[in-house]
Amino acid sequence: MKFLEHEAKSVFSDNGIPVPRGFLIHSADELAGNLEQLPPEFVLKAQVDVGGRGKAGGILMADRKNGVENAKALFGKSIKGVAVKEILAEERLEIQREYYASIAVDRSTKEALILFTEEGGVDIEILARERPSAIRRASIPLLMTEIPPFMLRDLLGEAPREAGRVLQSLYTAFCRKDAVLAEINPLVTTPAGLFAADAKLIVDDNALRRQGISCNRDMTDREREAERHGFSYVELEGNIGVIGNGAGLTMATLDLISFFKGKAANFLDVGGGADQERVMHAVRLVAGVPSVKVIIVNLLGGITRCDEVARGIIAAGISQEVIVRLAGTNEEEGRSLLNERGYRMLDSMEEAVRAAVEAVR
Amino acid sequence: MIYADKSAGIIVAGATGRQGAFHIALMNEYAKMVGGTGVVAGVTPGKGGQVASGVPVYNSIREAMADIDAEVSVIFVPATAAGDSIMESANAGLSLAVTITEHIPVHDTMKAIAFAKLHDCAVIGPNCPGMLSPGEIKLGIMPSHLFSRGNIGVISRSGTLTYEIVDELTKAGLGQSTVVGIGGDPVIGQTFSDVLRRFEEDPQTKAVVLIGEVGGALEEEGARCTDLPVAAYIAGISAPPEKRMGHAGAIIEGGEGDARSKIERLRKMGVPVASRPSEIPGIIKKIL
Repeated sequence: MKFLEHEAKSVFSDNGIPVPRGFLIHSADELAGNLEQLPPEFVLKAQVDVGGRGKAGGILMADRKNGVENAKALFGKSIKGVAVKEILAEERLEIQREYYASIAVDRSTKEALILFTEEGGVDIEILARERPSAIRRASIPLLMTEIPPFMLRDLLGEAPREAGRVLQSLYTAFCRKDAVLAEINPLVTTPAGLFAADAKLIVDDNALRRQGISCNRDMTDREREAERHGFSYVELEGNIGVIGNGAGLTMATLDLISFFKGKAANFLDVGGGADQERVMHAVRLVAGVPSVKVIIVNLLGGITRCDEVARGIIAAGISQEVIVRLAGTNEEEGRSLLNERGYRMLDSMEEAVRAAVEAVR
Repeated sequence: MIYADKSAGIIVAGATGRQGAFHIALMNEYAKMVGGTGVVAGVTPGKGGQVASGVPVYNSIREAMADIDAEVSVIFVPATAAGDSIMESANAGLSLAVTITEHIPVHDTMKAIAFAKLHDCAVIGPNCPGMLSPGEIKLGIMPSHLFSRGNIGVISRSGTLTYEIVDELTKAGLGQSTVVGIGGDPVIGQTFSDVLRRFEEDPQTKAVVLIGEVGGALEEEGARCTDLPVAAYIAGISAPPEKRMGHAGAIIEGGEGDARSKIERLRKMGVPVASRPSEIPGIIKKIL
């Protein structure tokens, strides 16, 4: 789950990384009552989770005269479709130099990858493409409790020693918070010292509970409902509802739909042990998406009981057509149950997908 | 056959849970059929002395190893304790820890894999169906009736999609040497490259099917390092960026690892990539 800037800054600050003075506001009035706590010149930063927030108008310069007015204007906006509900009001920094620092989970080394560059403030992805040597990298096994000194020296180059302390604290925060990404872009030098001018933190979804986070904000309501049933669910834009077991098989079903020039409305992986109850909930959930015209159920498994699945589909009692591909035990019983009620059961995943695509034509 | 043969004794961690007990029975049914050793002990802390599906349960792997001989573990313990179970397997001297558990926090996985490496213990998974060498050994939850013995190695990030493709292979008369589900998480122990290296040393394996997904670059890394004839299928060509498609690994991050560019890179290396699972047997027959 992605943390908003102010949340990430508060985590970084707790771990000893200097962040600009400021506070969160929920209305322009809240700013009016606390103006004296800010220096004469400050910034208003919309707390929305979108890329390119600055360019999209989500960050406004402000002073004591126009601050409240600007805050009012920003609260009325939506940045790339996301309404502004919270603003971080923060001191304006006198920036001398910008750096970039991040720590991320690296799939290929299975270690944490630390990146640092003295050319911060730019789009890091562009820099990585155009001048990869400008970005210094170090890989650290998570068995290490801190970054060893040689690694810090290699990373920092000419950057001030304080930046090394920031990297060390960033690593601590990364480890403590079960992060998959902790990023400071830019890390800036000012006459008053080093500051994390922006902050990004993404926490591993599998560690939310032990991090004390009960609700994953990155999910839509329907995705959350799906999660309660133990399904993985993603909404897409087509009209063919998809239910499968196993992420790979469900993804392959989606791919086959697009191979036959159809459009999937969703991805729903019922997970292991597809019994009557779970299948019924899955079918109802997908049928509830207004754009869904037909549903394909593609379940394969050694231990999946086809008669159970068939009963689940029938119990869901939905109005849309359901096309079923089932392989497992009690196949014949499942087939006759479904056929009796007018549902089609086909033998291969390709036949079933083709039938679903034709049904919406 | 790679990683283990029929003589290997198996310890199941998380033996008293519903899943653990159920799959002990299936693994031992398979071992009986092929004349293998099978599961010799279960482990669940605090439940030592019980019996799970006919197998004695111990409090720890160390305790079990005092009584029995085992080389590998299959781990079913809940997500928050699974990393610990991998480390316990490695510390006890097992050579392989097959980790079925899903939703393990990724930091736990990274630490456990690093620890296991120090003890020369290979980790398959997490979030995987395990592995099966037809006629030799079954470690995990794969439905054995779809498999047949032969010369094709299969390495996959998926579970059910693997069964789908194994079924196609079997129906086309293409038996398998070993089928390894390496897991759907972003960080996994044995990757395509590691398994391919084992297949290269396995005289039984003549060609390999890679079943990949969107996310990361492990498929390309694997294909680059092998001399064996390889065919691939990559799921997720229709996956939208930044959305997690069930598997935590199946997510396109910052434009990296999308299916189209992955497929293109594989084709450039000379690896034929099937656009549908049903094309795999035909491609394999051509490259054999």
